[in-house]
Amino acid sequence: MMKDEDVDTLLRSRRYEDAFGLLLDRYQEKVFRLAFSVLKDAGRAEEVTQDIFLKLWQALPLYDGRASLSTWLYTIARNRCFSAFRREAIRNSPPIEACGEPARNETVSQRVEVRQLLERLPRLQQEAITLFYLEDESIQNVARILGLPEGTVKSHLHRARRALAEMMRS
Amino acid sequence: MDCQDAKEKLLESYDGALSPDDRRRLDSHLAACPECGEFNNLLNALDVSLREAIVLPQLSAGFRTALQAKIERHSRRLWLDWLPDAAYVVGSVAAIVYCVVLLPPPASVVLWIGTLTAAIGYSFQALLLGSLEEA
Repeated sequence: MMKDEDVDTLLRSRRYEDAFGLLLDRYQEKVFRLAFSVLKDAGRAEEVTQDIFLKLWQALPLYDGRASLSTWLYTIARNRCFSAFRREAIRNSPPIEACGEPARNETVSQRVEVRQLLERLPRLQQEAITLFYLEDESIQNVARILGLPEGTVKSHLHRARRALAEMMRS
Repeated sequence: MDCQDAKEKLLESYDGALSPDDRRRLDSHLAACPECGEFNNLLNALDVSLREAIVLPQLSAGFRTALQAKIERHSRRLWLDWLPDAAYVVGSVAAIVYCVVLLPPPASVVLWIGTLTAAIGYSFQALLLGSLEEA
């Protein structure tokens, strides 16, 4: 099992390609989940994941070990995801009347409905709840990926569930 | 435990295990309170729906190959990005040398004026390119 210390050792001996390979093995899926939780589109999430690892490849020689590798990588990843999200939000902002209310039709699957409800939550709550289920319900992982304290993640989850329950009831 | 506490504990229970004491008090409240029982059912249904709705798509099989290609393309582009700067520096040096050899004023004056003009020209060009890229 690869550890971040192994990557640290490789970086110190300037074996960037080997270090990059290990980082890809360990983090590509996690970074993809983060991108997916922000962008909600698998194709775009994969593209942005590639951009994140390209940026990481360029920045590897600059890694100074002050922050842990995972913190450093997730910071790069979050920044890239949020700037991609902002770009797309500006490009694709739909007219207000197109946003609509979630489907009320009984025949529409619950899955579609809950996705529509999720979209009505504040962005951070959406990301917290999406990552919670993608990360096997590990608050610790969600906190590390979002760069937030565990208590804050719990509070976002708590509010998200309360709001979703209210929306489901109404 | 009142209804408010029970609902808070129910919400908390999804983010981690409750203490045995909280669990026991919550269970006895739920057994006696239909409203909180209904809230509990709602949260269970929500949990199931979220679990079904949030499914991670897989990275495509070509992810690594595409990333490798992107890295190679970018490395080539980095070199190409430097070409205009390199051409500017070579051109400026050649022009300054030419002026130093051919113009009548003292070589040091021509050298200073030439270097200053080249530096101002370069800064202006960099500013212009920067603002174009931002636009």
